Amino acid sequence: MDITGFLASLESSSLATGIRDSLYVFPLIESLHVVGLTMVFGTMLIVDLRLLGIASIRRPFTSITSDIMKWTWASFIWTAATGVLMFVTNANVYYHNFFFRTKIVLLALAGINVLIFELTSGRTVHRWHKDAAAPLAGRTAAILSLLLWITIIVMGRWIGFTTSQSKAPLDRDINLDDLFTPPANESGSPK
Amino acid sequence: MIRQFAEWLSQTSLSILIQTHNAWVIPTIQSIHIIAIGVVLTSVLMIDLRILGWAGHDQTLRETTDRFGPWLSWALLVLLVTGISMVIGEPVRALLSFSFWLKMFLVAVGTLIAAILQITLKSNEHHWEQTLVNRRSVRSLAILTLLIWVGIVILGRLIAYDYVWGSWSLKPTA
Repeated sequence: MDITGFLASLESSSLATGIRDSLYVFPLIESLHVVGLTMVFGTMLIVDLRLLGIASIRRPFTSITSDIMKWTWASFIWTAATGVLMFVTNANVYYHNFFFRTKIVLLALAGINVLIFELTSGRTVHRWHKDAAAPLAGRTAAILSLLLWITIIVMGRWIGFTTSQSKAPLDRDINLDDLFTPPANESGSPK
Repeated sequence: MIRQFAEWLSQTSLSILIQTHNAWVIPTIQSIHIIAIGVVLTSVLMIDLRILGWAGHDQTLRETTDRFGPWLSWALLVLLVTGISMVIGEPVRALLSFSFWLKMFLVAVGTLIAAILQITLKSNEHHWEQTLVNRRSVRSLAILTLLIWVGIVILGRLIAYDYVWGSWSLKPTA
């Protein structure tokens, strides 16, 4: 099956139609997505600031990760699951959206960044976990992580503003000024 | 009255300035707002997990609040500034929304609880560390506080979908 057919089959799945048919389910899923992503970002921030030697520096790095990483992973799975649910409702539009594509690439880079950290500073963690900051590789990973996650959040917000559900073509006689007044009923415009 | 205030606010020059650049200003402010709520939510999480004994075993409660309290306060300030900017930029969207007012109520409750913890912990450290963290009421309050902040995040997103509240929403519906 080609990608267009696959996206169409996602959109016509009973899951996607079920979500679209309800006025309430999509907003709820999107809200739960925000809860998850703020948890991912906030917990990663705590770990990254520790790597950089900015906060929690008197605690061993390993006791911070053993407290926090389980929450990061749980939140990540939660956020990914709610993200997939949103994606299937409008798969073709999201797939072709520049900000969505950028976000997916950045998520992959964030994953690679974690992998590189595990293969470099992560391997020698017992040697520096009580130091105020991680070695250069660890500090670099922390900065990259922060930049990536902040950009991922920004891209996510831009997806909401660039993927209107409406596919109606513009009326040629439309008055352009009307476009700049918000519609009376905001339902269906997920920003 | 709130409707008139929202309409007056939307005519102010600052509001018009944001509206004319809203293609990038509003999403940018919203992104900063989301980043700051991430700091708040996880700071509350870490303090509450310490009260519950589910994290931070090598730290006293005071050490935990010393680490996360200032981040919590500064992030709340960022949320206040970006939040006010969004209200000025889109007054009708925010001020006529039921989610917004319920959220503001919960923000007031959540901030009050955080402030009371900070103040009483500083004046009564020993009592907090030895006794209060083991009280069922305090532990329940820790879980409730976390749920309040999760609710705040959800309500924040639901401002964009205020029709979900039906007739509780003050917004005009088509």
